[in-house]
Amino acid sequence: MTWWKSRSDRLDDEIQTHIDLETQENIETGMSPKQARHAAMRKFGNVLVAKDKSRDVWGWVWLERLWQDMRYALRGFRKNPGFTAVALLSLMLGIGTSIALFSVVYGVLIAPYPYAKPNEIWAPAVLGPNDPVRFWHPYPLREVVEIGKLPAVADVMATSPRSVMLTGGTNPESLYGVYLTGNAFNFLGVKPVIGRTIQPFDIHPGGEPDAVVVLTYQFWQRLFSGDPHALGKKITLNEIPYTIIGVMPPRFGWWTSEAFWLPLSTNLADDTPIHAILRLRPGITKEVAEQQLNQLNVRLAAEHPQEFPKGQLRTVLLNYMNITTASGEMSSSLHMLLAAVGLLLLIACVNVANLQLARTTTRAREIAMRLAIGAGRGRLVRQLLTESVMLSVLGGVLGVLFAIAATRLIVILIPPDYVPNEARITINGYVLLFSLAVSMLTGILFGLAPALRSSRPDLVETLKDGGNGATGSSRARAMRSWLVVAEISLSVMLLAGASLAIRNFTQLLNVNLGFQPERVLRMGFTLPPKQYTTFEQRNVFDRNLLASVMTIPGIEAAALGNGGMPYSSWESSYAIDGRKPLSDDQKIVGSFISEKYPQTMGIPLKRGREFTESEIENVSHVALINESAAKLWPAGVDPIGRHLKLDDLDKPFKPPLLVPPGNNSELMIVGVIGDAKNGGMADATLPTVYLPYTMIAPPDRQIIVRTVGPPLAMVNAVREKVRELDKSVPLGRPVTLDEVLGEETQQPRFNMALFSGFAALGLMLAAIGIYSVISYTVTQRVHEIGVRMALGAKRGDILKLVLLMVAKVAGLGLVIGLCGSILLERIVRFEVFAKTSFDSASLAAVVLTLSAVALLAAWMPASRAGNLDPVTALRHEA
Amino acid sequence: MTTRETDDQLDLLQGTLDLLILQTLAFGRAHGHAIAKTIERRSDEVLQVGHGSLYPALQRLMKHGLIAAEDGISENNRKARFYRLTAKGRKKLYHETSRWQRFSDAIARILTPPVQEGE
Repeated sequence: MTWWKSRSDRLDDEIQTHIDLETQENIETGMSPKQARHAAMRKFGNVLVAKDKSRDVWGWVWLERLWQDMRYALRGFRKNPGFTAVALLSLMLGIGTSIALFSVVYGVLIAPYPYAKPNEIWAPAVLGPNDPVRFWHPYPLREVVEIGKLPAVADVMATSPRSVMLTGGTNPESLYGVYLTGNAFNFLGVKPVIGRTIQPFDIHPGGEPDAVVVLTYQFWQRLFSGDPHALGKKITLNEIPYTIIGVMPPRFGWWTSEAFWLPLSTNLADDTPIHAILRLRPGITKEVAEQQLNQLNVRLAAEHPQEFPKGQLRTVLLNYMNITTASGEMSSSLHMLLAAVGLLLLIACVNVANLQLARTTTRAREIAMRLAIGAGRGRLVRQLLTESVMLSVLGGVLGVLFAIAATRLIVILIPPDYVPNEARITINGYVLLFSLAVSMLTGILFGLAPALRSSRPDLVETLKDGGNGATGSSRARAMRSWLVVAEISLSVMLLAGASLAIRNFTQLLNVNLGFQPERVLRMGFTLPPKQYTTFEQRNVFDRNLLASVMTIPGIEAAALGNGGMPYSSWESSYAIDGRKPLSDDQKIVGSFISEKYPQTMGIPLKRGREFTESEIENVSHVALINESAAKLWPAGVDPIGRHLKLDDLDKPFKPPLLVPPGNNSELMIVGVIGDAKNGGMADATLPTVYLPYTMIAPPDRQIIVRTVGPPLAMVNAVREKVRELDKSVPLGRPVTLDEVLGEETQQPRFNMALFSGFAALGLMLAAIGIYSVISYTVTQRVHEIGVRMALGAKRGDILKLVLLMVAKVAGLGLVIGLCGSILLERIVRFEVFAKTSFDSASLAAVVLTLSAVALLAAWMPASRAGNLDPVTALRHEA
Repeated sequence: MTTRETDDQLDLLQGTLDLLILQTLAFGRAHGHAIAKTIERRSDEVLQVGHGSLYPALQRLMKHGLIAAEDGISENNRKARFYRLTAKGRKKLYHETSRWQRFSDAIARILTPPVQEGE
């Protein structure tokens, strides 16, 4: 800005010259030099005003004034380090956490998907008369084709995830491959990073697809280390060599982000249900499409009633965005955390508002003084505005830095299975602007409102008053107290939420599992169905594997089967001693196990005996039940030796599952074992029946081993045993039971960590708020306190006076906050905490924590008031 | 505008200072002090230019491109800023003068007693 400077200098010179010339002239008319100069100056008028007005003409004055105001503001900040630090801290925490969490929510819940026009993708759901809305309705391929023929539908594609064996490498694996119709990649509209995607021409007119595969980015990295020469290479899937034709970008995660996509056979005779999504023709409304689709569904339901719900059908098109974005628990907990962070942002804003109010009130005298010596009101407001904006901008910058760190932390904490494959969490620009805007607005609003009010005060009164604020500011004081009440009640709500999250988590940790998960390793394996075609072949392999695994040193016990490791999914209706339960819907969980199952899992035998080796080998129709199942018998009846009939064992099993000849559904109970969780840590144990695994022979089995040392150290030994028997048998990923349970506690742990974090921050901000207000009030009332002391008040009395003030505010805040949290819990009923509710102990803890913090925050200013020397205090006039 | 006011000295009307500056410069270039002096002299000391108010006016006229400034040496050998009319300024002066003329004629007609028709 040197040119501006020089213009300014030039003006100075010019005016100087003018005055010199005038002086000269005056001397020539006979004045003394001193008189001459004086007259010249008088004639010119106010030199500074002239300069100022001239500069005004240049139009840069606002910049100059801004600079002046900024320097003044900075000076003010430096002079009030306490105020500045607290305000900046509040802004930083408030803005930072909200940006971080909004970014996570944006990335997980609302970020646009990498697919072309994702909001125009619809998934059909078919509902019975009383069904709640569910996702998807799986149709067999021939019905998907019919959907495509509807006039409203522009395009339809289908997806079907299936278990695929990857062999040919050193470690055979079992993965979920995703089969797609030929048009799928064009439908989704995403380009590959290398090669090409599956196209309609990859499927022959007869319906048979070419053996081509498109890899996920992750699979490509893992198996080929990102080598572009992977294109054209072959991998063996389900014993067929597939040619790699392309690799998708990392953000593309259609149904899988770790395996691959394969072309789906369009053989119309295949009635495996697959998942269809569609796009509508331009101009067609969702309602019209739903109507057409419903007509089709009614017709299809008449042909195949077993595939559809009973009764009047309803068809709903669900927007794909709503389906794939994190649903269920994650979505619920993100919404809840969002509410929490909203509270935090509010607390931060209240804090800043409070500080601004306190500061401008103490500055009432300064403002009055400036007005008295002729400052314009607009100028004054501009000055105060500059200060507020500067504070907010500084806070905002700190907040953004904090947000970057916090986002990283949240990404580390976030449970991996709970976010969609496509979600990428990064600091979001819109979110950033939003949070900045909110908190800046608060800073400005509360910095300005009192400024506007105090810029037209009764000058004489304010100046006389000595800035004590004893008169006139009682409204401001009340406002500040209410702000603290608001702050405390918001903190109470956050604390109450945190107490729920903590309880939810600890309840889960302290749950009685009924089995011992420590040192248990679980691996799945798949027998290639084309090699193992008979029941005998499969069970011989299983028996040999179990026997050979048990010879591994360091393995205490081993078992094999389906279900119960630890969770089961197979259920059947049943009859006890020939009697059906009252309701048809009542089912019993079934697990297929080998004889050492109870020892391996660490489930105690309660009554009767366990299976013998020969019972397993001979497919005896015997059963173990858990204690919950034992209660199905009338009280006092010993179920040992009694009979249980499982209806589903009668139904014809579909291949590839095989059953021995002469299978029947009548079982005799030989023993009762303890209840072990079989549906999830937080769920009640269901009545369960355990059957010899030899009763069925599916290609997929699971093997569990209880080890002496660290379980993962046994992985290779088990793998070796499988390979010794048949090196083409693929193994699934080995997991420990601790890991399985750990996945279940991840979500509550995430909630707890974040919620407690937010509550701690909120508490801190509230404490700062209380401290600043009390300390401010004490300063304002020093004179009054002095008078009281002079009249004989003791230190204790003064302490009581101040603390009583805090108690009033804190008490009110507590009551409002508690009512608010209970109301919120009643109304909102967060899905995540469905199984946890407030108890008096945790609410008492909330009250105690908050009171302690309030007392602590108030103690310092209170004791300062108590230690005042009455003489000094009385002299503290202005 | 000037702060002193006596019976025989008049405050400048708003906007008239600009016109007077332009008129002064119509005879050639001049520096600030000279402009002020000229205005006072030509009005027989009736119009008082507060010298301070001259400079904002000069800046204003420069901004609108009516006058231009150049460095030069004053009569007593001092560095000074000389102002001159631009073409735009000359046009403006012409317009404003005729406008002013019409304005002052109108005022004069109102203030002088009307001559009775037919007398």
